Amino acid sequence: MSDVTGAKVAKSLLLVAKRVEENKDYLCELDGEVGDGDHGVSMTIGMRAVTRAVNNLPDSVTPQAAFVAAADAYADEVGATIGPLYEAAFRAAAEAAKGKTNMNAIGDWAAVYEAMAVAIQVLGKAELGDKTLLDAFFPAVEHIKKLATGGGDLVSALESTAKCALDSAISTKDLVPQKGRAARLGDRAKGHQDAGATSLAIVLAGFAEAIKAG
Amino acid sequence: MKKLINDPFDTVQELFEGFVSANDHLIKQVGHRSIARIESPIAGKVGIVVGGGSGHLPAFAGYVGKGMADGAAFGNIFASPPAKPVIEATIAVNSGAGVMYTYGNYQGDCINFDKAQDHCRELGIQVQTVVLNDDVLSAPKDQAHKRRGIGGLFLVWHVAGAKAEAMASLDEVVAVTSKANANTRTVGVGLTSCTVPANGKPTFSLPEDEMEIGLGIHGEPGIKRVKLRPIDSVIDEIVESILADLDYKGSDVAVLVNGLGGSPAEELYLVYRRVSQILKASNINIRFKHVGEQVTALEMAGVSVSLMRLDTEMHDLIKNSVVDTCMYKKI
Repeated sequence: MSDVTGAKVAKSLLLVAKRVEENKDYLCELDGEVGDGDHGVSMTIGMRAVTRAVNNLPDSVTPQAAFVAAADAYADEVGATIGPLYEAAFRAAAEAAKGKTNMNAIGDWAAVYEAMAVAIQVLGKAELGDKTLLDAFFPAVEHIKKLATGGGDLVSALESTAKCALDSAISTKDLVPQKGRAARLGDRAKGHQDAGATSLAIVLAGFAEAIKAG
Repeated sequence: MKKLINDPFDTVQELFEGFVSANDHLIKQVGHRSIARIESPIAGKVGIVVGGGSGHLPAFAGYVGKGMADGAAFGNIFASPPAKPVIEATIAVNSGAGVMYTYGNYQGDCINFDKAQDHCRELGIQVQTVVLNDDVLSAPKDQAHKRRGIGGLFLVWHVAGAKAEAMASLDEVVAVTSKANANTRTVGVGLTSCTVPANGKPTFSLPEDEMEIGLGIHGEPGIKRVKLRPIDSVIDEIVESILADLDYKGSDVAVLVNGLGGSPAEELYLVYRRVSQILKASNINIRFKHVGEQVTALEMAGVSVSLMRLDTEMHDLIKNSVVDTCMYKKI
């Protein structure tokens, strides 16, 4: 595997953006069952802004600067709840990648993912089990942290982490929402898969796919 | 989807540009998606900044002008604006007398407006916030802090705007706005879904013979779906849940019968007819009323009914107020 440079991180953000937009209608559909049906739209607006920002970055970009560009894109264009949450997550990712010239180690990504999840929790004040994107993110973070201590192949670690996030997102069907507009529905929201958890799984899958593609 | 639009992802930007130029005698653009009264900042006056997702006009930006709001931030459709346009509006309306934020209780709005508030306080601007939560059916009474803000903002902002127009202090404007919010209750009923342009499909589907009571102004599900039935009995149920939540007996009230965007004015008058009958029978005195589309949900068919219980201060403020805003006028 070649070096996962800042330019490669930037490129992976472009693929993440593409995969999110491809799932716009699916995410809206999931959200429409219990929320106001615009999650896919908000994520697409954010990811289009990320694409514009990342396309302006030089090849010499650091991993940190690539994540900062994504954070700024979400800050300026999205709003809603998801805008500040992803802004905070990407800013935390930038902080975790500070000083690094590459992201070759599983531990590099574990640190970034953990920082992102913690930042989202601090701002959104959700707990595990509240039926939010954290119900996909926290299990994925635990998973990749374990892999980081054992060493091994980065691509397969990112892939199995993304799979863990997706499985966890599917499991949100059993949860009763405590946050956001869906929280006002209570038990009526049971049986529906959380849209935010699903898009998070798509984001992590996008990173894995991009790093694999090299 | 059948809409008067171009690229659905450009809709908000284009409606913003149209709104600004159509109202350039009353407002000025002060940022990417933020506006302020053309006279801003007005010396000695508390600035009122409102905002929220687009898709609810006249709420929220339509109320910028004399007697209601001084500035507003536009979000994407049904999505809170980011902090940035709120900050831009705050700076534009700040005369030194302080700025009040007031908006409906949604997680996105709370996060973004709080962020703007923190930032503006660091700049040395006095900012206070009154979050509105009038939607009775969105949470039980003992969890009223979780309730959404919907149509009642139209009544609350009359009181807030009139107080600020009278050159009251920031604390006084905040106090009367909080009081107005605490005395306001709303219940809505939806008949059809709406379509977010960038989504392209209706947010939800409601069978031809059903209506949804307690539906939110973004198409969020309400508390129950019921069979379509004569409107009088629906209004009886709606008003009953309002009167059960707050003691209005013998009080003076302000009333809003609000169209959600897809129901004709004719039907809104049927609703007002029934509301006024019930209030009269309950010994509740209507001192101010308005029938029309104010807080909408794109083209959703349906109606909401809001009641604000008035004390002498609120009564005098709303009765004597003069409002000349982009989309609502009162003399």
